[in-house]
Amino acid sequence: MLIKLQKKTLVKTQLFGYVLTLLIGVFIIVSTIQLFIDAKPILNEKTDVFNTKTAVISKQVSVFKSIDKQKIYFTPKELEELQAQPFIKNISVFNNANFKIKAFSNHSESIPLFQTDLFFESIPDAYLDVKVEDWQWEKSQNFVPIVIPESYLTLYNFGFAESQGLPVLSKNTISQVEFNLKVFGNNNTEIYSSKIVGFSNKINSILVPEAFLSYANTKFGRTETSRISRVLVELDNLSDDNILRYFNDNNYDISKDKLEFSKLSFIFKSALIFISGIALVIIALSIAFILLSFNLVIQKNKEVIVNLYSIGYSYQNIARFYQVIISIITILAVVLGIVFSYYLRSVYVKKFKTVFDFSESKNQIFVIGFILAIILVSIYNIYIVKNIKKTVTKTN
Amino acid sequence: MSEIEVSNSDIYMQPNVVFSHGKNYLIKANSGHGKTSILNFIYGSSTNYQGRISYNSKTEINVLRLRKEKLSYVFQDFKLFSSLSVYQNIVLKNNLTHHKTQDEIDAFINQLGLEHKRDSLVENLSLGQKQRVAIIRALCQPFQFILLDEPFSHLDPTNIKIASALIQNEAMQQNAGILMTALDMVHVFNFNATINL
Repeated sequence: MLIKLQKKTLVKTQLFGYVLTLLIGVFIIVSTIQLFIDAKPILNEKTDVFNTKTAVISKQVSVFKSIDKQKIYFTPKELEELQAQPFIKNISVFNNANFKIKAFSNHSESIPLFQTDLFFESIPDAYLDVKVEDWQWEKSQNFVPIVIPESYLTLYNFGFAESQGLPVLSKNTISQVEFNLKVFGNNNTEIYSSKIVGFSNKINSILVPEAFLSYANTKFGRTETSRISRVLVELDNLSDDNILRYFNDNNYDISKDKLEFSKLSFIFKSALIFISGIALVIIALSIAFILLSFNLVIQKNKEVIVNLYSIGYSYQNIARFYQVIISIITILAVVLGIVFSYYLRSVYVKKFKTVFDFSESKNQIFVIGFILAIILVSIYNIYIVKNIKKTVTKTN
Repeated sequence: MSEIEVSNSDIYMQPNVVFSHGKNYLIKANSGHGKTSILNFIYGSSTNYQGRISYNSKTEINVLRLRKEKLSYVFQDFKLFSSLSVYQNIVLKNNLTHHKTQDEIDAFINQLGLEHKRDSLVENLSLGQKQRVAIIRALCQPFQFILLDEPFSHLDPTNIKIASALIQNEAMQQNAGILMTALDMVHVFNFNATINL
């Protein structure tokens, strides 16, 4: 009988409006959070050539700097500052060769005869993903392994070889080819044999083992100190927005793909945060809406509520109906939001799988929705009981 | 009320006034002198007074228990629910107390001539009919006192007779007291005392 009486106090359109807005809010917030969770591994992903989270930075070359070459080198102070950045785990410098190098093929080999000038650089061995036994050099050793950018091979195969009528080479075949290096300077000359042991996508340089370069620099080098024009940085988190800002502020160039990636992840994150913000506003509005319409119900039916209290119904008894109704429709809205969100996820996961090497993260939609529902239902229940109590005790 | 009226009152400014169950009291005063207020004080729905009201020598009371088990009240403004029918209004109270059976409720309805209105919405009833519904509802609970706030103001003599007999009968069965307010001397019950406000 009580239910029958109180049922007549409700306005169904208001309840429907609440369910709809809350559903939309929950759907968006739950979906964005889940999307964020799902996209995180992609954002933090590393397609490995070098060690995981490394990037190469250099100073931007401008018109003025090409005249005053000193400006493209890093000063010790700048290096210290770099190292101090919270998002940088570690930095290492590139060593340049301070001597002249010529590479040439053996006459006896079946490959075309060639001779070319080269340059060498080195980075700490730990950063390279080349088999350890391939990447070692000792003073007594005549063999020097090198790593070249993959783009050099592409350039040769599809540009040079094509136009000059030369054979194309696979990575494998080129790795078999032995050639000679003539290293000279400082009135010393030496000939080493060499092979390409690896290719890199990320460092546009010809690399040799650090041990060889430091040895050769002292033996053949023109100057004592080697200047640092490129720095290898190890980053904590590639998608940290500060990386982009810091390098831009200091006019540093960071290897392009990393930069793009950081930009992309920044935009993606900003968009998600923005959408979450809107979703929160929608949810807040839906809460305000239902509380307002509940207040309206109380005001319109004040007499009924007070009379119920007068004939012996407790305020808890009176409140219970409204508690149950609002709890049920809130849970209904959240459940619907979760269902839609599950559907959306299944759609984008399918898409992700076709585009990325994507492994599903844990599905948190239900957990987030559940927590949200508990918070909302608790707020409402407390609010309703308080409000009914106030209504009956104030007037009675 | 003027000061002289207050000093002549049988309740206001008196050291104490005792209502004993099993007895009938008539509280008499002109309108606006606080008859309803007195009943509301006793019913616990208004605390806007100075002094103390004790129930069986207890002052701390559970208002809701009091209203379900000890005190019944026929309100002057009925406090019925207009969107419910006659029968539903009565059952709404009886559901709290489970004091009467459906047959007993129907018997009350019949005795007070409301059988043709049993399932009509209260909002379509006349004042006199509403008053009878309020009286039946008040009888659907155990009580030690029944508070009647001008309970017969809209009733004809025949219905007053029937209603008062029903109330007296219920009160006697439960050895309960009757507190009735009226503008004037009335003789519907055998009053043990008349209190002038």
